[in-house]
This record gives sequence, structure tokens and C-alpha cells, in this order.
Amino acid sequence: MKKSKSIKASRAVDAAITYVILIAVAVFFFFPCLWLILASFSDTGSLYTLKGFFPEAFSFRNYQNLFTDTQMYNYPEWFGNTLFVAVMSCLFGTLLTILTAYCMSRFKFRSRKALMKTTLVLGMFPSFMAMTAVFLLMTQFNFINNHWGLILIYSAQAPMGYMVQKGFFDTIPSSIDEAARLDGATNFQVFAKIILPLSKPILVYTALTSFTWPWSDFILPQLLLPTMDNWTVAVGLMYLDETEFARFAAGSIFIAVPIVILYFCLVKYMVNGMSAGAVKE
Amino acid sequence: MTKTIALFLAHALAVIAVLTTFGVLGLQREDQEAQERFTGVLEENVTLQILDNDTAKETGYLDELLNAFNEEYAQYGIKAVDANMGAYTDLEKLGPAGYGPDVVYQANDVLMRYALNKHIQPLPVEEMEAYSQIPKEAWDAYRMQMGEAEYTFAVPVNVQEPLLYYRKDLLPENWQEEWDDDKNGVPDMVENWADLYAFSAEIKASSNGTKFGYMKSLNDQYFAAGYFLSYGGYIFGKDETGAFDTENIGLSAGESYKGARIIRQLAAIMDNNCADDTITTSAYELLGNGTYFATMTTPDVYESFVENFASSWSRTHRDWTEEEVDAYVRENLVMTKVPALPLSGNLYDREGETMDMTVMGGINGYAISSYTKAPNAALAFLEFASRKEWIARRCELLGIVPARADVVEEEGGVAEDVYDDLLNGRIYIMPGERAMTQVWASLGSLLRFIAEDGLANGTAYDTDDKLIAAMKKLDEDIYSAIHTLS
Amino acid sequence: MEKNVNKVAEGSAPRWLGQFAGAVKKKWAGFSEIVTHGNFRVACSMFLMGTGQMMYKQWAKGALYLLIQAGFFAYFILVGAADLFGLFTLGTVEANPWYGIEGDDSVLMLITGILSVIMLILYLALYAANVKGVYETQKRVEAGKRPFTFLEDVKQLFDQKFYKTVLFLPVLGVSVFSILPIVFMILIAFTNYGGDIVPPRLVDWVGFENFGKLVAVGEYATTFFKIFGWNILWAVLSTGINYFGGLALALLLNKSCVKGKVFWRFFPILAYAIPGFITMHGFKFMFANGGPINYYITQGGGDAIFFFGANSTWPARFIGLMVNAWISIPSSMLLATGILSNANKDQYEAAKIDGANAFQQFWYLTLPFVVFATTPVILSQFIGNFNNFGVFYFLRSDVAESAGYVLANDTDLLINWLYKMSIDNNYYSIGAAISLIIFLITSVISLVVYIFSPSYRQEETYR
Repeated sequence: MKKSKSIKASRAVDAAITYVILIAVAVFFFFPCLWLILASFSDTGSLYTLKGFFPEAFSFRNYQNLFTDTQMYNYPEWFGNTLFVAVMSCLFGTLLTILTAYCMSRFKFRSRKALMKTTLVLGMFPSFMAMTAVFLLMTQFNFINNHWGLILIYSAQAPMGYMVQKGFFDTIPSSIDEAARLDGATNFQVFAKIILPLSKPILVYTALTSFTWPWSDFILPQLLLPTMDNWTVAVGLMYLDETEFARFAAGSIFIAVPIVILYFCLVKYMVNGMSAGAVKE
Repeated sequence: MTKTIALFLAHALAVIAVLTTFGVLGLQREDQEAQERFTGVLEENVTLQILDNDTAKETGYLDELLNAFNEEYAQYGIKAVDANMGAYTDLEKLGPAGYGPDVVYQANDVLMRYALNKHIQPLPVEEMEAYSQIPKEAWDAYRMQMGEAEYTFAVPVNVQEPLLYYRKDLLPENWQEEWDDDKNGVPDMVENWADLYAFSAEIKASSNGTKFGYMKSLNDQYFAAGYFLSYGGYIFGKDETGAFDTENIGLSAGESYKGARIIRQLAAIMDNNCADDTITTSAYELLGNGTYFATMTTPDVYESFVENFASSWSRTHRDWTEEEVDAYVRENLVMTKVPALPLSGNLYDREGETMDMTVMGGINGYAISSYTKAPNAALAFLEFASRKEWIARRCELLGIVPARADVVEEEGGVAEDVYDDLLNGRIYIMPGERAMTQVWASLGSLLRFIAEDGLANGTAYDTDDKLIAAMKKLDEDIYSAIHTLS
Repeated sequence: MEKNVNKVAEGSAPRWLGQFAGAVKKKWAGFSEIVTHGNFRVACSMFLMGTGQMMYKQWAKGALYLLIQAGFFAYFILVGAADLFGLFTLGTVEANPWYGIEGDDSVLMLITGILSVIMLILYLALYAANVKGVYETQKRVEAGKRPFTFLEDVKQLFDQKFYKTVLFLPVLGVSVFSILPIVFMILIAFTNYGGDIVPPRLVDWVGFENFGKLVAVGEYATTFFKIFGWNILWAVLSTGINYFGGLALALLLNKSCVKGKVFWRFFPILAYAIPGFITMHGFKFMFANGGPINYYITQGGGDAIFFFGANSTWPARFIGLMVNAWISIPSSMLLATGILSNANKDQYEAAKIDGANAFQQFWYLTLPFVVFATTPVILSQFIGNFNNFGVFYFLRSDVAESAGYVLANDTDLLINWLYKMSIDNNYYSIGAAISLIIFLITSVISLVVYIFSPSYRQEETYR
């Protein structure tokens, strides 16, 4: 009897400590966000004039301006552009990354190790150095000022980051696919019917990362989209910040919203999405 | 076996033959004849992409201008449209790729950098109506000797120089008795730096450090350069052809250390923000709500100050109408030439001799991209946009200081002062050299060190000797940044 | 263990050469076999791609090959051949747009030149596949089997050769948009591109001149080593903080006593969702001289701290680490959560029965499993942090130069230095030369780490 009491007590202490840490973590991550959100609702519309962290008066003015005052800064249009580019890049990028990772994990072809080493080494190269080249390439393909050009680059560069996904596939026991192969399934079928359903967590992870990259990147769109109508939100916001901080804050908060929503929709796949039972050998 | 080898070799030969023949052929270029592009014959049915700055768009000036132009040139089928790009769009990058605007409005240092690599077209300015109305000093900012000939690359529209912005309603009530020693009806604190300094110190002390007199980020190179230039410093010397000589760097020349001392002294009347760029953004609002009494910036942002001042004023005066607020704001937000500096280079010296300040300035204007398909139509646009009525309209809507003498005459006031500075060499036109990047970088770092030292009352730059040494070191740093690698 | 490592390291260079020589030998043997044993149909395919296949009645496949060959020849005749030659000359005629004189754009020629080399390699690879294919068909027929039908070929592409189908697009995309730009940058290091020599002026090859300059100017070497040291420290610290921070958070949230996991996970995800450049702006302002933190410090009677001031090396570095953690921990948490959900629960049950405590479970079960699954990730995070351009670019770009550094401040990483050198100051070729040196150092280090990493060496253990 005594023993179970002490276990109970130690469990309670453990839970208490856990919650204290969790609250600390929550504050650490939430506070800067909260601050930005409040600032975007500040009546003066500027972070710079706040006394301390919090504004004195609130208003919706900044958000209103974002969507009504579009003559110079067409936020709704930028938002649409960003959405288009991000969704398309996410689709193609995820597909290519997952497939690449799957092949690297399952096929032991001749040039595999060489390919793996090459991609590793390529990733070491400072990427902005290549910007001039990318810009000139796109002028050759006539893809300047064109969203498809951006999508092409994002999708084409996505498979470079296949490592995480390969790591994931490596942890799926190969006995599963060998069994299926014995039943006469082709490699394509094994991938589509057996591996893919087991890979929801990594699919979601890949999709999220390949969505958020174009969503928040401003270097590439800035390079490739000269006209303001074609800009993405990130480019527009970066352009704004000097004189229109109010808009900047409101616009920034607003583009964070879809990603937060996405998370909520996908969370059940992400969180322990794959039951441990499925992996049993 | 022989067949396989033969056909394999045949294929290899075919590939090599194709590559060499067409490789050599493809690289051949026919001799091209130089064509004069300004033939005087207007290209018909063309669309001109015009790049102007953001305020011109926001205030509606650009639309007005484009509509008027399009109406007049509709008969030739020439249409001018907003290029719809960011104001800092780089013609150097977009032009050769075929995506750039046809006409660009930018500052002289940017335009002359384009000119260096022939991205903008030399213009037959002597034939333009505005030629005689714009002073030589303004045209000079766009002139460059290249080989034998001298070219002019753009049409000056407005003159940019730092001006003092201050709030008239924040002057002490008794300024006429206490702050007008020379009894000229102008408050001393906006007439010379020493008095502005004393006044600012007073404000800071009496408000317990919550309000300030003069405020400006001291590490902003463009505005701070004036202190060095006024005491004999210069950026680049000139060679015998009149071109800048980037080997001759003279920021430490003359008594420029006095300028450095002034910057160090100024830090004392400010707060932490003085070594931070956030001021540039916050000044609009903080001058508007009365936290600052004065700041220094260029005339083209006047409207941003007005807007912020008005919105903060109407927040505290809810019963005022919009017109009343606007009238009050425009009455009390004053833009004037920068105060005079003490000859001694000491801001505590309120009695000694003073001298006018030399400032770093620039000329903004229109230029024509070398990649335009319609140079003559673009020239017609320049001709149109530099007419008296349009420059005057630009002044009215944007609050700029025009480059045209006849418009200045009508405007009077601060425009005349700036003009006077321009004609008398008190505006040091920003050199259009690539090497300015290195100058700005090194200068900016030194300014920050000095300002932080002044703020913390440190000992890194507290004597003239230390400042002289620092300026010498600055010149050496800039020199090595420019020349050791190229 | 150490002995073993040494042995491998000693033996690796000649072994690597040996492997290479072996591969060449094998290729040559294959080639000479085809040449000596190939029949007339193979020979035909050697000249006109696909003709041999057609003779075996593989019409669709043959036509496809023929079309490919025609396409490539058209490309070479129209632009490819000229592009290839342009790579060597880098242009001969300077443009003068003032008078409508078209000229050569050296930089563009460099790129199209590399592109044409890639195309040539692609063509030769397809050519080889075509010859090999028809020779295999010949052998099949000689062995009494019939040639594959088109349908069977396609089927193979979804089975044994599935990886070829899948990898074709990624490899092509990566070649054009990642490898080509990198080759471009490497080549730039051997030209005089930069300063006043930018198009329309003609750029030229200068050999190793840029590297010579770097060696000659001693200040650059000292700046390089100072930044390099800090860069390594930064990469190690931030990778460690982010990785273990994420793992700890994931484990914490996995604990059975935590209720409302979705709620708790919301906060890091929110941080993850806000685009980095916004966060950086926010943090920059938060720690600005007149920002809220300093506001409270001065209100409380303290002296303001210049977090990003000219002399504040360590405060700025510390904040950089923190901001980077704020941005990266959520994503490593997500990753760790995903990996942990793959863990074998039986092992934990068994461990519990054996009386292992929580720490032991973590040390002997969780850590090896997670580290095994994510070694490549740790490595790529390390590389990402090593080349983390954004943090200090946003936070402290106002300080252009620190005392004792050339064109860099004391928080700059190598990549920030490169940026300042090549983009802000136009020294493209010098920047490229330095990046090549850095690239060589870092890639050797990471390759060695990678090859000795457990997940590379024993990929099969956890299957």
C-alpha cells in the first residue's frame, strides 16, 4: 500500500514538473507571436512607438487597409499569388521528394551511394551564390515574371532535401515489402499500396515544409517577379516595411494564419499518425 | 565488328562535325553598324513603361502625368503606363534580360552607375526645353566623360538635400525673447546647431528623458556625411578630367575630425535610438506625436510626416474636422534648411562664429533605358514630364524641391534656400561610383562606434587626437576595401 | 575502435582509386564486348538511334529513340553547339546598346555553355542506353527468347526499373537548378567577373589569379580564420540546441501524463508557422536599442544594453542562437515526433519489465533509435546552420564592419561575409573563390562524418 502511494506521489511531482516546463515552453514560443499580433491591432499601427510591449489603443484599421487600400499595395492579389505558387510547389515538391526518398531507401542500384554523397555535398554550397545563375537561366526559359517559373524551381530543388524522408523509410522494415513482392506486387504497387499508406506522418511533414518554403521565401520571388501585380506576399511585405510598418505587421500575421489552420487540419496525421503496431516485425 | 566500329565512329564524327561547324558558325557575328537612336522620328503604336517612385504613385501624380501625356500622344499611338515595379528596381539586372522599364526615375548615384555600363542612353539635352531652366550644377550630376566625349544621361527633376523638419507648436512660448539673439524673427534653435543642441538638452532634462529635441540616427551615413564635408572632408578627389579618383579618399581631410566630434556630442542629447536604424521609420510618428521636436531628412518625405502628424493630432483632438487638422499640421510642421555649424566644431560654443553647413545631396531625374524599343517616344515623354507645369504640379503634390529655376521662383521659401545651396556648392552631390558601397560600409561602422561611445560617455573617442586617428584609419580602411581586391 | 578507423582512413585513398579504375575497366570491357559481338542491328543503332530496335520490331521504342536523336541534333545545330563554344571564348563582341549594337553577354554564355554540356552528357547517356538496349535484345534473341514488347518495357519501368522512372525528373531538375548554378559559381572563381567588369563588358578566364590575390592579402586570411572559428562554433551549438531541444520537447509531449497534447503543441507550431523573415524583424526590434526589452530595462533604472551594437559581440551571438532555436526547434520537434511514433513499443514494454527507469529507456532505446534514424538529418541541419544566412543578416546587418575584420562584422558567418563581398561589394569572382575554398573544407568534413555515421554504415540494422 505504502509503495503505491509513493509511486503516486512521485508521478504527481513528475506531472507537475512536466506542466511547469510545458508552460514555460508555451510562453517562450507564444509571447513573441502575441506581441506581433497585438502590435498589428495597435491603433497607431507602429511597433516603434509602443511603450514597452503592449499598445495603448486597439483598432482594426491596419487589417482594413490591407484589403481596401489596394491601389499601391495589392495585398489580396499578392495573397492569391502566394497561395497559387505555394500549393503547386507543395504538390510537385512533395511528390518528387517522397519518390526520391523511397528509391534511395529501397533500391540498391549502382550509382546510389554516389548520388547520396553528391546531394550531400551539393547542399553544402551557399545557395545565394547561385542566384545570378538561376535568374539568367530563367530569362533563357522565358520564365521571368511568371509564377510557373517559381514553381519549377521550388519543385526541382525540393528533392535535394530527401534525407529526412529517406530516414523515415529506412525505419519501415523491408520485410513488409518483401512479403508483398512474394505475393507478386510490382515495385510501383508496393510503393503505392503498402508504403504510402504507412507514410502519412512523413507525407504531412514533407507537404508542410514544401508548402511553407515558397510561402515565406522572398529571395527567389524578388528575383524573378519584377512587376508588383505578380509579387508574393513576402516580397510585398519586405518592400513595405520602411514606411508602412502597420501594414507590415498586419500582413505578416495574416499570412501566418493559413499555416496554422493547415496544422490543425493535419494534426491527427502528424501526431502519432502511424500506430506502432503497423511496424512490428 | 568492322560495321559496328565504322558506324560507331561515323556517329562520333557526325556529333563532332555538327558541334564544330555550328559552334564556329554560331559565334560569328555580322559587322553591325552603329545607329543613331534619337532620329527625331516618333515610334508609333508603342507602350512606354515608366518607373517612378512610390510617393508619385501614392499621391496620384503619376496617373495625372500619364493621362495627360497619353492624351497628347494618342495621335501617334504612343501610350505611357506605370511600370508597376518597386522604386528600387535594378535596371542593370532587368534591362539586358528585356524586362526593364523604358523610363526610370531614380537618384543620380544610381543612374550614373547604370551609365557606367551603358544601361541608360546619353540624351541630347541641349535640344530640350528644360535645358536653359535647369542650372549647370544639376546637369553636372548626370554628366560623364567617357573616352573622348562627354555625355549627359538624365533630366534633373528635383534636388534632394537634408532639411531640418521641426514642430513650430513645440517652440517655447517666449522664444522671441529668449531664443532669438539676433532678433531676425527666426528661432535660434533652428538657425544654428549650438542653440538647437542647448534647446534639446533642456527638453531632455526637463522631460526626464522621455522627450527629445533634435533626433536622428547618427549612424546614417548619408546625413552624417555633411558634418565631415563641412569641415573640409571630401569623399573622392577628382582627377584632371574631372572624374572621381577612387584612390584619393579624403574623409579625414581638413578638420573633418570636428564633424566626428559633433556626432559624438549629439549622442548626448539623444537616447539609445541614436545608434539604431529604427529611428528612420519611427521619426514620422514620433515627430507627429511630439516626442521629438526636430529631425533631419530629405524634402520628398514631407507628406509622410504630414500624414502621421495629422493622424496623431486627430486622435487627441477628436472634435476637429479633417480640414482643421490638416491646416494646423501644415502650419506647424516646418521644413527648413539645416542650421549653421559652429566654426569651432564645438556644440557647446553658442557665441562663436558660425558657417553654413555643407550637406550630402543628390539630384533625382528621368533617364531612358538603353534597352527601350522606342527611344524617341521615351524622349518625348521626358520632354513632356519636365515641362514647367508638370514640375510645378509635382512640387505641389509631393513637396519636392524642383530643379527648374522658373518653378523655384514661383515656389519661393525653402525651395529657394535649397537652390541657393546647390548654386553655391553647399550640396555635395553623391558620387555615382560603385565604390560608394565600401565608403558607406566603413563610414557607417565608424559612426556607430562614435555614437555609442558618446552615448555611454566612453573613452574610445573622447579626445581630438583619437578622432583624428579614427578618421585617418577610416580612409585607409575604405582604400583597402576598394582596391586590394580589384 | 580507433585503430580500425585509422586503418580505413589510411586505406581509403588508394582503395577509392582502385574502385574507380575497376569501374573504368568494367565499362571498357562492356564496350568492347558490344563492339566485337554486336550484330548489324546494333551497328545501325550506333549510327541512328532506335533503328536497331525497329529492326527487332520494337517500333515504338525505336521511334522514340530516333525522335530523341533528332531533337538533340536540332538543339545542337540551332543553339547548343554555339553555346558550347561560347563557354571557351566567353564572348568576343562587346555590346553597345546606345547604338543598337548587339554583343556577347559573357555571364549568360557561361550558363548556356554549362547547359549545353549537361545536354551533351544527357545525349551521350541516352545514346549508350540505346546501344546497350539493342545489344541486350540481340542476346535475348540469340538465347531463343523474343524481344520485349513495348508494353513489357513500360511495365519494367514500374517494377525492376521503377527507380529509373522515378529518379529521372528529380535528377534532371537538380542538375539544372542546383548543379548548374553551382558549377557556374565554381567557374566564376576562375574569371575576372566583378567590380567594373560586369556585362555588357566582356568577362575573361583568368585561371588561379583570384586565389593568388587571396593569399597575397594577409588581412583576408585573418578575417577568414576568425569567421571560420565562430562559424564552426555556431553550427555545433545551434545544431545541438535545436536538435536536442526538439527531441526533448517531443518526448515531453509524448509523456502519458500530458493532457491536451494538441493544445501544447499549438505554441511551437505557431512559431513554426510564422515566416522566418517576420520573426526576425520582430526579434530585431525586440532587442533594438530603443525596443521593448531596453524600455523595461531603462524603466527599471538599468542601463540600456546594445544587444546588436558595434561592440556587442557575445550578446548578439547569444541572441542569434536563441532566435535560431526559436525558429528551428518546432520543426525538429515535429520530426522527432514522427520518428518516435515509429518506435517499437514492445521494446519499451520489455525494458519496463526488466526494471529500466525512464532515463535508461531514453539512453539505451530512444536515443540510439532516434539518432540512427536522423543522422543524415543532423548532418543536414548542421550544414543548414553552417550556412545560415538569415539570422545575422536580419539581426545585425546595420553593423557593416567590426574592428579587425575586413568587410565583415564579428557575428557574421562565412556566408554573410561572402554575401557582403560578392553582392554588396560586387567582388563576384573573389567571393566565388572563397566559397569554393569553404565548400571544399566543409564538404570533406561532412562526407567523412557521413561515411562514418551509423545510419550510412549499417543501414540494415534496424530493419
